[in-house]
Amino acid sequence: MFENGLLNLTNWTGNVIMPTLAGLFFAAAIYQFSKAHPYAHLAWAGFAALMCSGLLRALEAFAQQAGPNDPDRYWISILTLVNWVGNVMLPLYGVIQIVMLVLHSAGVLERMTIGDAWVRNLVAAMMCFGLSGLLRLAEFWIQNGTAGVR
Amino acid sequence: MTIPQLLIDVMQLLFDLAVPAATCTLVLAGVALRQESGVNFEVGGKFQRWMLWSVILLTLPQLLSWFAAQGINVPAQSAGIAGGWLRGIETSLASFVSDVVVGKLGPILAAFFVTKAALDASQGSSPLGSVVAAIFLLSVTGTAKLMQGFNSGGTFATVDMLASLWNYLAGTILPEAAGLAVAGTVINYARKRPFMPLVFSALAFLSVSGLWKLVQAMVG
Repeated sequence: MFENGLLNLTNWTGNVIMPTLAGLFFAAAIYQFSKAHPYAHLAWAGFAALMCSGLLRALEAFAQQAGPNDPDRYWISILTLVNWVGNVMLPLYGVIQIVMLVLHSAGVLERMTIGDAWVRNLVAAMMCFGLSGLLRLAEFWIQNGTAGVR
Repeated sequence: MTIPQLLIDVMQLLFDLAVPAATCTLVLAGVALRQESGVNFEVGGKFQRWMLWSVILLTLPQLLSWFAAQGINVPAQSAGIAGGWLRGIETSLASFVSDVVVGKLGPILAAFFVTKAALDASQGSSPLGSVVAAIFLLSVTGTAKLMQGFNSGGTFATVDMLASLWNYLAGTILPEAAGLAVAGTVINYARKRPFMPLVFSALAFLSVSGLWKLVQAMVG
């Protein structure tokens, strides 16, 4: 019964509360963006809140690289985490950096930080009115992601 | 020497009240769990001691059979209590534990812990400890049945039950706690608090058996 209670608490936290908080994180990110304050960590937190069960599956997959009674299980799970960060996350982050390179060199982002603020205000207004659509878009990306890289 | 019937009845009363007493010690363990943060316990603290008493009470006959196996004359348990008055005492105490302690007091204490969770959150502390302690209190009956299922029936039943409890904690409870650790990681990241310790903790929760084997291998 304690096991069932804890399992239900975990499921409720990860599948009900965290997706709900994702909306709040995105709203806070849009507000921070409109003020020209750092907003990236709130946007990433919003994505991560929608992916709690997937992140747990990832950690389980890292831990299951070794048998349950293998003394090296913890080390291998950390090693797998490091490999995943280096071989999956960093290349994706590299792609994002290339996109940022293009945007910076084209001068698009300059309108949102220093000088004229109207582009930043326009984008923030569009995101404010379209937040529910942005949430659905994030959920669609995550659901599509379950099919793997295609 | 013949043992007086009254003493036999008193001994049988104590044996029969061992399981209800174990239920009471589990309730006390639930309260102590919250006192020791709710998601952790102190070594040598009250939670550990009340859980140990629960194990001892649930394996009392097997514990005494170990003494009998050493050659100490332990009186055998009788079929029931002969005296009507003591039988009434046993029924009343067992009903008190099941109807009042488990049926009413446990849920009320759990409700207070849920309120405490909301108050903890309002002060900026984690509400998780109070919620886990509330779930523990609400599942006392199930936990007692689970522990009785771990009773191997042999002379080493007490330590066997402790070993089974460890396996249950490491193999069932902590992997579920890993899910809560992932949620905590995301929340800590959003609040710009350290989150990597929770990632490593989640991996450790999924690898407790392996960590135990590692420590054993280090000792050699």
